[in-house]
Amino acid sequence: MDPEAAKTARESLELAFQMSNVLDTGLDRHMLSVLIALCDLGLNPEALAAVVKELGREDSCPPPTPTAPSAP
Amino acid sequence: MEEEDQQKILDLVKELVHRLLSQNPNPKTPNSNPNHNPNSSDFQNALRYAIRILSSRLTPSIAPDAAAIAESIKRRLATQGKSSQALNFADLFNKFSLKTGPGSINNKWAVLYLLKIISEDRKTAKNAPNTVSLLPNLALNDPDLNNDSRVLHNLKRGDRDWDNGVLLVAKDPENLREIAFREYVNLVREENEVSEEVLVRDVLYACQGIDGKYVKFDVNADGYVLLDTVKVPRTTRLIVRKLCELGWLFRKVKGYISESMDRFPAEDVGTVGQAFCAALQDELSEYYKLLAVLEAQAMNPIPLVSEPASSGNYLSLRRLSVWFAEPTVKMRLMAVLVDKCRVLRGGAMAGAIHLHAQHGDPLVHEFMRSLLQHVCSPLFEMVRSWVLEGELEDIFAEFFVVGQPVKAESLWREGYRLHAGMLPAFISQSLAQRILRTGKSINFLRVCCDDRGWADAATEAAAAAGTTTRRGSLGYGETDALETLVFEAAKRIDKHLLDVMHTRYKFKEHCLAIKRYLLLGQGDFVQYLMDIVGPELSEPANTISSFKLAGLLESAIRSSNAQYDDRDILDRLRVKMMPHGTGDRGWDVFSLEYDARVPLDTVFTESVMGRYLRIFNFLWKLRRVEHVLIGAWKMMKPNCITSNSFTKLQGTVKLQLLSTLRRCQVLWNEMNHFVTNLQYYIMFEVLEVSWSNFSNEMEVARDLDDLLAAHEHYLHSIVEKSLLGERSQHLYKSLFVLFDLILRFRSHADRLYEGIHELQARTVACSLPSQDKKKSRRQTSDKSSEPGSWVSDGRKALTQRAGEFLRNMAQELDAVSKEYTTLLEGFLSQLPMQQHVDLKFLLFRLDFTKFYSQLHPVK
Repeated sequence: MDPEAAKTARESLELAFQMSNVLDTGLDRHMLSVLIALCDLGLNPEALAAVVKELGREDSCPPPTPTAPSAP
Repeated sequence: MEEEDQQKILDLVKELVHRLLSQNPNPKTPNSNPNHNPNSSDFQNALRYAIRILSSRLTPSIAPDAAAIAESIKRRLATQGKSSQALNFADLFNKFSLKTGPGSINNKWAVLYLLKIISEDRKTAKNAPNTVSLLPNLALNDPDLNNDSRVLHNLKRGDRDWDNGVLLVAKDPENLREIAFREYVNLVREENEVSEEVLVRDVLYACQGIDGKYVKFDVNADGYVLLDTVKVPRTTRLIVRKLCELGWLFRKVKGYISESMDRFPAEDVGTVGQAFCAALQDELSEYYKLLAVLEAQAMNPIPLVSEPASSGNYLSLRRLSVWFAEPTVKMRLMAVLVDKCRVLRGGAMAGAIHLHAQHGDPLVHEFMRSLLQHVCSPLFEMVRSWVLEGELEDIFAEFFVVGQPVKAESLWREGYRLHAGMLPAFISQSLAQRILRTGKSINFLRVCCDDRGWADAATEAAAAAGTTTRRGSLGYGETDALETLVFEAAKRIDKHLLDVMHTRYKFKEHCLAIKRYLLLGQGDFVQYLMDIVGPELSEPANTISSFKLAGLLESAIRSSNAQYDDRDILDRLRVKMMPHGTGDRGWDVFSLEYDARVPLDTVFTESVMGRYLRIFNFLWKLRRVEHVLIGAWKMMKPNCITSNSFTKLQGTVKLQLLSTLRRCQVLWNEMNHFVTNLQYYIMFEVLEVSWSNFSNEMEVARDLDDLLAAHEHYLHSIVEKSLLGERSQHLYKSLFVLFDLILRFRSHADRLYEGIHELQARTVACSLPSQDKKKSRRQTSDKSSEPGSWVSDGRKALTQRAGEFLRNMAQELDAVSKEYTTLLEGFLSQLPMQQHVDLKFLLFRLDFTKFYSQLHPVK
């Protein structure tokens, strides 16, 4: 990645972060960068938003159901 | 490559879940420490859950249009009252969208959309913390591991979708929907010879009054139509036709503007017309802006049904019809106005536009208001400068006040008038009158009174009304402000004008002078004048020198109390000889004149002075008759002496003499009664009462019009009550016949007394030789049977002549008396028929003892 592109990427992220702050999304910079990367990879933003919402809810931790810990 | 991507996604999702969980420590699970073990069951559950969500077939419910999303976010912020944030956001977005090229974010809309949803979710979560979660938790229980792979498979496909569009999808044999769409697209392409983009562009051209490639102006249809040769469905043809109405309207408005502009230097379009054109031009430039935006958008290709748009801002005919909805309403209004105003100008034009502003639709109302603000500004400017400066800045004859060049004396009455056609409806009639009068007052002060004080009054008025004397401080819709300004200005300027009239030009003093000299109120002056000009006036009119009369007038002034009057007033009093014919006596042509001069000649115009002259002539005649009767009385008074000297006359002759004298006395008395009462009535019931009313009205008059009306009323009441009015012409004539009869009586009485004096002188001459034996001679003369001497002969002849003379005189007096009785009777019978209540008093006075009414009871 050439320095020019890196600079652009950084600035874009910064701008997105500022917008996120304006909108009061509560995302930190790192999380935002992950989300942007996912978006760029073509994931559905609505689904991503749902994940953030579901997992970010304060009072709704996933119920401790015994399931097989299997990561792909 | 794909494997790599999937791995990347998985890693990222893991990271995300990790972050999310660590950010949100759960108090219920004691083992959840900040550093989540990636292998803990919680984490695994969460990760599976996340992947499940991501693999769901949730598709974005909106078009991928970053600008539109940004717009909606902005609007939301703005409606929440966070306008500064909205602005901030807009700024950030602008910068953000400019970042292109390597290293920048590709899927900008997705990022924005994500931010938007998260922000909204947080908001709703905050507002309702206990809402049920969007997805049920049972999803987590699904142990199917194959799910994950399906997620990834779907993701892959989704990814491709965005990149390659419809073609790739269409290859998928399972996707019947896509195939159907494709077929539809082909069908549409077949049916339309011309693509929609081209039509949109043509319509946009047509809306600027330019013929497009396919849409051209058709003179027969009087509108823009799609060429018949172009093969398009009927609906398209219709919608094009409909959209092009705007073009037709535009052509009309534009045509009017350019026509007016072309006409301008040569012909007078008028300032209001120019303002109207300017306002229309402004509206059109707004319209041009819209067209420019639309044209830019028209460059974007229209996506066909299922195609994803490269940009959301494409224009289809349907979108165009939405865009055109508002401009069409406005343009239609403008076209209507243009039609209405083609022949109108000035105030009439403003009035016509104002009528259209009375509309319930707030859009129309607002539009018309802003238009009228432009259109009316010249008009209001004219009102302002007219009311405050008296300037008629109206080169194009558009103002509702019209001035015409007149002489100073008729400036007030005829100099300016209202032009009803130019009076717009939003200025009421009374306000217009007030406006007219205020400006007129200023001009009157300037031209006739040579006064500069009004400028202060005007400045004061402007200050009081809260506006400045500068230009453009008033506008349409501020009728209240205008009214206040006019009211204040009128109040002050009228007051100033009246002050000037009263203090500087001594209006009241002049009125009083006219009453005293022209209406013969100054008794001693009139008496003296009558005495000294009387002999002169008995001469034929053409032998009288008016210079001599002027000298006599001067001496009458000097010898009466009039000499103490103001010199300025006395200088204005003149003798006037009316045009005379042959046989006219001086009495018929003599009159007094009062020179009112500027500015008082506004009140005392020629016609007013003419009426004063009529009154003067009447009063002068009345005075003359009275004077004549008094003169007769002077002659009749010594008749006891004369009758004593006739004691020696023969009995019959003596009796005859006495009865003639008595008849003369009675007739005189009757006449005197009539004239005295008539004069009393005129002086006290008419002149003084009218004057007192007039001075009361003068006190309360607030402007010159009031003053003029008061004076008019004063003069009118005098004319009416003095029987000089139209309705009492008959009565007036019979009154003059009566006067003439009285004058004739005077000459008869004169002759009678001359005859008696002559007789007396003769008698004395006869008896002179025998003065010593007076007594005996009386006896002899009584008997007249004495031997005749020349004296007794002479006496006999004398007696005979005297008898004859007296008989003649008695007959003449009888005739006069009879005529007088008939005339008076006629006069009295006509009197009750007059409308005027005051004439009843005259009748009452004349017939106080009911002598006449008993003599001639009403049948």
